[in-house]
Amino acid sequence: MAGNRLPEFDRGKAVSLRCEGEPVRAFAGENIAVALYARGAGVLSRSLKYHRPRSFFCLEGHCGACLMRIGGVPNLRACMEPCAEGLSVEGQNAYPSPDMDVLGAVDWLFPDGMNHHTLMTGSRLLNQVVSKVVRQLSGLGTLPGSPEPATACESPAWDELEVDVLVVGGGPAGLAAAEASAAAGARTVVCDEHDRPGGSLLADPRHGPRDAAGRADAARRAGARALLRTTFIGHYPEDGGVLLLAGPDRLTRVRARQVVYATGGYAQTLLFANNDRPGVMAARAVGRLLVRYGVAPAGRVCLVIGRDADRDQTDALAAALVAAGSEVVTVDERREQILAARGRVWVSALEVAGADGQVRRVPCNMVAVAAPPSPASEGPRQHGCEVDLRPSEGGFAVVADRDGRTSVAGILACGDVCGATTAERAAAAGTRAGRAAAAGAGAR
Amino acid sequence: MSAGERRRGKVIVCRCEDVTLKDVRHSIALGYADIEEVKRYTGFGTGPCQGKECHGLIASILASEGGRDPASIEPFTARSPISPTPLRLLAGSPDAASDVADDEDG
Repeated sequence: MAGNRLPEFDRGKAVSLRCEGEPVRAFAGENIAVALYARGAGVLSRSLKYHRPRSFFCLEGHCGACLMRIGGVPNLRACMEPCAEGLSVEGQNAYPSPDMDVLGAVDWLFPDGMNHHTLMTGSRLLNQVVSKVVRQLSGLGTLPGSPEPATACESPAWDELEVDVLVVGGGPAGLAAAEASAAAGARTVVCDEHDRPGGSLLADPRHGPRDAAGRADAARRAGARALLRTTFIGHYPEDGGVLLLAGPDRLTRVRARQVVYATGGYAQTLLFANNDRPGVMAARAVGRLLVRYGVAPAGRVCLVIGRDADRDQTDALAAALVAAGSEVVTVDERREQILAARGRVWVSALEVAGADGQVRRVPCNMVAVAAPPSPASEGPRQHGCEVDLRPSEGGFAVVADRDGRTSVAGILACGDVCGATTAERAAAAGTRAGRAAAAGAGAR
Repeated sequence: MSAGERRRGKVIVCRCEDVTLKDVRHSIALGYADIEEVKRYTGFGTGPCQGKECHGLIASILASEGGRDPASIEPFTARSPISPTPLRLLAGSPDAASDVADDEDG
């Protein structure tokens, strides 16, 4: 359940965190989830209702499984917060600690789950008492103990931005779209929520940081401006339509003639018992640990290849893990049924059943789950773009033509947000969408 | 639910709200088989991730187990902020100041 930091990997300067009062060695170029995993941390927090142990699943800010109290602020994503000297980190929703939470008994007491619609509703008095108890036990984190420091209460900065083309998402599709759009003469801005552009390239051993940096440089050289650690948080149709971007210390209100959504997809899980056990992670998260952060899982990784997973991608991940010193066993959902993850607070085995019904147990220290990413189609949906439920591609994909044009004028989409694809195809779609957006914005 | 399934443990479909596969099946069995109905009955997609992990998965379950044609399943409304945003950032908005003024006028 620990990770090995690979040698000769640039992680920035060494710092020391304080996790539950204990010092933890970390690096400024790592986020808190990575540093705690490298140390061998088991559980980061407990879940809201059953107090099940939780650790990161997606490692890219989307799944909500790694919320911790960081620097005294509750409910921050450990995978999105950079490490800094002396930063205090604590688990949430657990007593006395995330590893050993007495409230975890709730999970055992209700093996079939707890239906709040019918729980203790026989007597009004009993129901009132139970409601009070449940309210005390559940919930997410606790409020900060002291008022925020005065500096944080000052009115934050607020920017206005007017561009020809806004590209949301800096993965293979978004970087190619930004490059093509800027090269065609459009004033282009590309935003990405992470501290470094690249998106899924940074989780794929066939690409990695150098490839991602090369593509980002190409977009910059063409004249596109990149806003990093800047997340698209919504489209507001008022006043002719504005898009809101949230940066680390400011909001930016953008007016764009054309918007290209290259938001990719969210890592998905597969359905088996205890699929939320810490150590069960998205294959893409394991790829990101290795490729972006230079941390290899110690021990044995059970790579679960989902029915609809991209097999070239899982082959590449397995090979890269082996090259980094991890042991890898694969389980193919097309041949075996995944029954359950085992392990008290961290996964220790995966139970699978073959076609003959024979159950076997695969001992492991990590389960990497590969499934197609679910299209991140919220933005296009807010504009009213047509989407299509494609179960084999993880969710609601945006319907777009070859040039990325959606059902709404001025709104384009490319890459995984239009349905799971490869980095090469995403980049090609991005180039076409970038050109179409520049043309639509009236660029020369 | 068979004894074997029960012994193996919960299958979580929405991590944020601890919604299980069994909860979703129960909801479908009660006739709440539309995505908005399942959301309201089970609370899936209402936690910190706002459905990023579970929305597509549960829609797919409705298609495969609820007997619905995928083309007839609409996604739920995507509300802002799409990603967790500290309130203090919003407090700096020029709109925030004018909204207060509007309220005082009203």
